[in-house]
Amino acid sequence: MYKRLALAVALLGLVPAVASAHGPSRQKVTETIEINAPAEKVWAVIGNFQDMSWHPAFAKTEGTGANDPASAIRKLTLASGGTIDEKLNKYDAAGKSMSYEITNVDVKVVPVTNYTATLSVSGTGDKSTVEWKGAFYRGYVNNDPPPELSDEAAVAAITGVFKGGLAALKTKIETPAK
Amino acid sequence: MKRGLLLIRLIAGLALIVPAQSFAAEALTTNQPGDSLSFVDLETLKATSEIKIGGKPAGIALSPDKTLAYVTAPDGKELIEVDAVARAVKRRLKIGEGPLGVAAHPSKPEVYVADWYSHKIAVVDATALVSVAEIPVGQSPSGLAVTPDGALLISADRDSDQVSFVDLATRKVIATAAVGKRPFGVTIDASGKTAYTANVASDDVSVIDIATRKVTATIKSGHRPYAVALAAGRGFVTGQYSGTIDVFDATTLLPVKAIDACDHPEGIEADASGSTIYAACWGDNIVLKIDAKTLQILARVKVGDGPRAFGKFLR
Repeated sequence: MYKRLALAVALLGLVPAVASAHGPSRQKVTETIEINAPAEKVWAVIGNFQDMSWHPAFAKTEGTGANDPASAIRKLTLASGGTIDEKLNKYDAAGKSMSYEITNVDVKVVPVTNYTATLSVSGTGDKSTVEWKGAFYRGYVNNDPPPELSDEAAVAAITGVFKGGLAALKTKIETPAK
Repeated sequence: MKRGLLLIRLIAGLALIVPAQSFAAEALTTNQPGDSLSFVDLETLKATSEIKIGGKPAGIALSPDKTLAYVTAPDGKELIEVDAVARAVKRRLKIGEGPLGVAAHPSKPEVYVADWYSHKIAVVDATALVSVAEIPVGQSPSGLAVTPDGALLISADRDSDQVSFVDLATRKVIATAAVGKRPFGVTIDASGKTAYTANVASDDVSVIDIATRKVTATIKSGHRPYAVALAAGRGFVTGQYSGTIDVFDATTLLPVKAIDACDHPEGIEADASGSTIYAACWGDNIVLKIDAKTLQILARVKVGDGPRAFGKFLR
């Protein structure tokens, strides 16, 4: 029992060092999508940090602190299993933009470290553009990463999350309610 | 006629003075995902050229006369010498496992390269462009800075939460000092008395008295600070995750203002006049020009993809 606890503590102790180290080069992914709807309507769907239900990859959002960058956190549960802990860093309701970071994720769930992202919407009239920008390092913090933790794997994973989410968002907003 | 001659002589005289400043003041940004180096004319505030570098460039230092730039490429594991006047790569040197931070000696042809993975600093003879010595320091050395007299090199040993003081005459670590968590950029003031580290994981800046080699104060910064610049009696700290440049008074160490800057502000430096600050914004692909007194953003100049400009990048 104590041995197991000691092991858990030891593992916990290791986490911060691993989480703050990273590979040599930060990666960047930017995806955008045009939506035939006013920006206000789009922001009403994506502008709540505590609700990622518009994205099919996430089964559950649990969090506290609403949209307050001083305190807001959330735990996302992936439909495929695994969780991601995130913290809100900036929230601009008038500018329709929010920035956040991952504070804890297993690289087996998402193969990235030191991840931040900004989700924003702009537009005029009945047309808007949603932009999702991610900044992150790969999952493997040393030289010569295994393929599943390489720069390419990290970029592919985040590109997939962004593209999948934005496409689903467009469909959700543009498809008339039945 | 006589007056005309005088005028010609006057112009000729001015022309003689000009060559020292024959190139316009420039900012050179290492664009990491873009694999390039951008040259920004600081008079016209336009990027005048972008040259291919390769190897995901990050760190930068300039030769004493500022005609040569030394760029690190962590992915390519190289130190790359760039002719900043001709705007062309001159020579490339394979070096270490993860070259990142780089600094140049203020008066002699010597360049120091921090190796993120092998935990040492390479001393490079910049004339021959060969590594002539290696100095073991703490874990994952990142930012490097040399005192104005060229006597001392300070290394921010990121994963040891410390700085190392390297005597450049003997090329030995003569002391270390504990700082905040995960120090990244390190900056030395013009007097050579004080150093500042930007501590990524504790969101603060350590103020280090170089003579006693001790931290004398800690200043709160924005989220994930990257580097510090000094101008007009103030410190300017880039906060990567907060998107801010946090300004503090260098005498009272009290906060002055958090400037809402850009997406991932990183490399930052004051120009020679001490009245203007330039910062590279990795996320927005721009260089910001900021008035060090009014703290207004005066210009945003488009550069290549993902500028980091980690080091001294103004010439």
